[in-house]
Amino acid sequence: MTTTDVPPAFSGAEAAPGAAPAELAAAPGASTAGRPPRNGRRRRAPASEEQRTAVSPQDWRRPRVRFSLTATHLVLLALLVVWGIGPIVLLAKFAVTPTQDILRTPLALFPHGIAWGNLAAAWNDVRISHYFLNSVVVAFGAWVCQIVVATTGGYLLSVLRPRYATALNTAVLATLFVPAVVLLVPLYLTVLRPPAGPSLLNTYWAVWLPAGASAFNVVLVTRFFDSLPREIFEAARVDGAGPFRLFWSIVLPMSKPILGVVSVFAVIASWKDFLWPLLVLPNPDLQPLSVRLPALQATTDLGVLMAALAISTIIPVLVFVVCQRLFLRGAGLGGAIKG
Amino acid sequence: MRPGRTSQAMALASVVALASLTACSSSPASGHSGKLTLSVVSLLPGSEKAAFDTFNARVAAFEKANPTIDVQPHEYKWEATTFASQLAGGTLPDVFEIPLTDAGTLIANGQLADLNDQFQKLPYAGQFNQNLLDKGKGQNGHVYAIPAKSIYGVALHYNRALFQQAGLDPDKPPTTWDEVRADAKAIKDKTGVAGYAMMASGATGGWQLTAAMYSRGGQVQQVQKDGSYKSTLDNDAARKQLEWLKAMRWQDNSVLADTTLAWDTINQAFAAGQVGMYTSGSDVYSSLVETLGVTGKDYGLTALPLEGPGAGVLVGGTLAAVGAKADKATKDAAMKWIDFYYLQNLVDENQAVENAKVRAENKQAVGTPVLPIFSREQYQQSLKWIQSYINVPLDHMKGYTDVMFDQPIVGEPTRATQEIYTLLSTPVQAVLSDRNADVGKLLTTANTQAQALLAHG
Amino acid sequence: MTLDTGPRTRLGTRPRTRSRTGPRPTPRSRRRAAPGGRLRGGGLSTFVFALPLLVIFGVFSWLPIGRALVMSFQKTNLLTSTWVGLDNFRAVLEDPLLMTAIVNTSWFALLALVLGYPVPLIAAVLMSEVRRRKGLYSALAYLPVVVPPVVAVLLWRFFYDARPEGVFNSLLGGIGIGPVPWLQSPTWAMPSLVLEATWAAAGGTMIIYLAALTGVPPELYDAAEVDGASIWRKVFHVTLPHLRGVLLITLILQIIGTSQVFLEPYLFTDGGPADATLTVLLLIYRYAFGQSLGADYGKATALSLMLALFLALLSLVYLRVTRRWSTT
Repeated sequence: MTTTDVPPAFSGAEAAPGAAPAELAAAPGASTAGRPPRNGRRRRAPASEEQRTAVSPQDWRRPRVRFSLTATHLVLLALLVVWGIGPIVLLAKFAVTPTQDILRTPLALFPHGIAWGNLAAAWNDVRISHYFLNSVVVAFGAWVCQIVVATTGGYLLSVLRPRYATALNTAVLATLFVPAVVLLVPLYLTVLRPPAGPSLLNTYWAVWLPAGASAFNVVLVTRFFDSLPREIFEAARVDGAGPFRLFWSIVLPMSKPILGVVSVFAVIASWKDFLWPLLVLPNPDLQPLSVRLPALQATTDLGVLMAALAISTIIPVLVFVVCQRLFLRGAGLGGAIKG
Repeated sequence: MRPGRTSQAMALASVVALASLTACSSSPASGHSGKLTLSVVSLLPGSEKAAFDTFNARVAAFEKANPTIDVQPHEYKWEATTFASQLAGGTLPDVFEIPLTDAGTLIANGQLADLNDQFQKLPYAGQFNQNLLDKGKGQNGHVYAIPAKSIYGVALHYNRALFQQAGLDPDKPPTTWDEVRADAKAIKDKTGVAGYAMMASGATGGWQLTAAMYSRGGQVQQVQKDGSYKSTLDNDAARKQLEWLKAMRWQDNSVLADTTLAWDTINQAFAAGQVGMYTSGSDVYSSLVETLGVTGKDYGLTALPLEGPGAGVLVGGTLAAVGAKADKATKDAAMKWIDFYYLQNLVDENQAVENAKVRAENKQAVGTPVLPIFSREQYQQSLKWIQSYINVPLDHMKGYTDVMFDQPIVGEPTRATQEIYTLLSTPVQAVLSDRNADVGKLLTTANTQAQALLAHG
Repeated sequence: MTLDTGPRTRLGTRPRTRSRTGPRPTPRSRRRAAPGGRLRGGGLSTFVFALPLLVIFGVFSWLPIGRALVMSFQKTNLLTSTWVGLDNFRAVLEDPLLMTAIVNTSWFALLALVLGYPVPLIAAVLMSEVRRRKGLYSALAYLPVVVPPVVAVLLWRFFYDARPEGVFNSLLGGIGIGPVPWLQSPTWAMPSLVLEATWAAAGGTMIIYLAALTGVPPELYDAAEVDGASIWRKVFHVTLPHLRGVLLITLILQIIGTSQVFLEPYLFTDGGPADATLTVLLLIYRYAFGQSLGADYGKATALSLMLALFLALLSLVYLRVTRRWSTT
């Protein structure tokens, strides 16, 4: 497990999806959890009504239960609003507040007017757009690399199964047990002086290629391919399809759900990555937002910095709001896998 | 996800990626058209646009004078945490800047290029301040790193507006540490703004504590008769300064409670009017203008209080250097750039005026007081050339400029400097964050650790 | 690899026993019977498919792992390397900061457990009972996870302004508390870090619990109701026991994750004040990248390996101990 797994493990209290052995359990669960998206909307609605919880419909009919549960839920909703939106709303407010007001009366409502200029300054002077684009490039490349390695690797291990497949599989699995931190220094030195070719430092390859070495992805995809019915492969074979046709026209089209999951994980991980790009992209022109923002904070006016932070937040939040379903299912899937 | 399009995109992407995977080992072709590309450090990341305009104008002038050299500026901030790996990884620009204190070790490690041939051709090669130049020389007496940019003495910077609001006379800044404390308290009491702030993060806290230690006659390390080094962090000057800081923090509450302040963030807090006084290099005003757009109206600069026998001002500075792997053509070009960008405006009237003019037009600081790289006379001469362009508030800097040549100066510690600074930041952070911090114990611990570092060589 | 069998056999069987929600995994017999032999072409095409995996894992995973093992016994400045035996390990163990880092990291992990473990669980169990607009609830809870972590830290850093005018201090001042020194005190700094980390991560954990809650077999509730169980009894005897597997795994994952915490101490406090938030990973980072005059890569890899070994042992012991509880 390498860089894409590095950041989430580094980045907080929560272990990353894809950071630990337990997820090998992905095996059978992956296909089950991965499938619903296809005709999700129709199947999902009744399913959620069907879902049974500790409180039964009979319980709900009892006024005391109904009252206390509703009250609890309202409190919960209020807390969630404060928890989920509170800091973001404050950030939005600071983004258009003059620096002196942010410093002196952070909670007052625009005592000296609104400073729309902060946003323009963040966009133009701090060049947030540039670094945002870098983030997108980093994420896209990492995604491509992960998809390529995971699908070809999965196809090899699950469908082609050469003689060395078992050994290879074990070698891939073994990397799941090495905590990301062990790789930090040697991986850095590898990027600095690759076995062949020039130093990858200050190139996006240094972020993209190590991202591809995600054993979690390979395992996930391999297990998914395992669950595909072999009869189809056989039929294709009889029709004269070679290994490439089979991969391209049969296996890949059938794997959309799992590729969607891998994609969500890949993009989120890349978006969050901090330490690795900090190390391998010292050139400020190449740095993604996550690396650039901390570097800029000391030379940027607080109001402008807040505007920059707000701009960097608005895009993922919008993407989330629009693709909520995909996100939450992806994250939930992480859980289903873990379970 | 729309299945159809996504899968096509994915397929396409996989092909592209596969193709590029196999192609990635071919190195990017460097477009040679007879021109030599020379990468150089430009300004701190996040500098004001006007500052970059100034810099680019200088680059254009250089390229005009040297049509065979293509200068590529890189934003740059020397950071202890990234410098070593950048140097080892070869990702520093061809010409980069290093602190005075680090040159000796880097030269001994063979990490800097020998610039002696190029250096000796400079018409003013013999005019450098010898003590300064020695810092960039190797054991063989060759010059590897050249004094450039600025040489600073640590000084006290203050906010004149806050002095006024607190009923203090901004033209009579404090001259003893006790007066600093009294003024800081007055500022806090009258305006609610922190009267004093101190860098504490990384190596910067130890750097400023060392400066304060020097100003009270203390020493960080001593050379023994046998040539070995002895750590002397646990001295009276250090104890006094830390107790002084602790009293200001916990009795007067006049210090900004922030243990994460570093060289740049304390500038930022000062520029935002959150700080009455702080200590830093005398050349900070240029950076305040360059990165934070400060104007001189409220800025004041005065000398660091010197108390007791052996007291002196900590002096440090920047050297320009080139990585060990550079070829001769690059070294030649690099020296041309060092000559043009860093040094000529100190020794050549035309260049000095030209530089000052461009800077003044872009509202960058001209005439910030620094210590001379050459002789004092040369420095004062160069100031005369650019007199009409000087735009720094000289009236507000008299407290420093009146005495800057008379104060005894002390160089930074020579062994394990940045590591020992880092060790010394811990006591600074401790007294700023812990009411019950035991100054004596903190210094004893730091001293033991520093001694271990010195023993390792 | 001994660890391998532990989680896999135990967890591998788990979904099958309750895979009510999805299609059954392909029966083993069918897969075995698949005439893989004929697909097993070998030759060029197989090699083409093997290439990305071999190259990427070889260069960016297997090679660095091997290198880590070697480097921990070497002293290297990137130009030359010399074998130094166990010197790196000895130097790490003698570093007075190591104990500080271990204590701090454990403190972070413990606080993160106390704060970050029950909150998502309680919220998830409550939310599973929500009948209308459930999506809104989970979206709200998940929103902080979407905020880029660096942005979150920089924003919270400002919230934690220790002056009475600071955001949190203003809020607390409104109800007569504070001002709290937050990041400016050795005592408060770590809890402040954990609070932000919990904010940033709890949503993710909660969604996982919510997903797991959908898998509780309804028969169990029916059975409990036939026995006349109260709501509380159902929660404690049906819901929570069913989550046990997930809970046990998120627990060990969280411990493994928090032992490698870096972003928060690095960006909030850089290990300060006075080393109060110096974590093991920050120490590794400082060994490797923190010195201007040459990195100590050997010490850094030695400490990484020691951490890795500790985590492996911890997981092993944990899985041994919990195996008994989780197979009901």
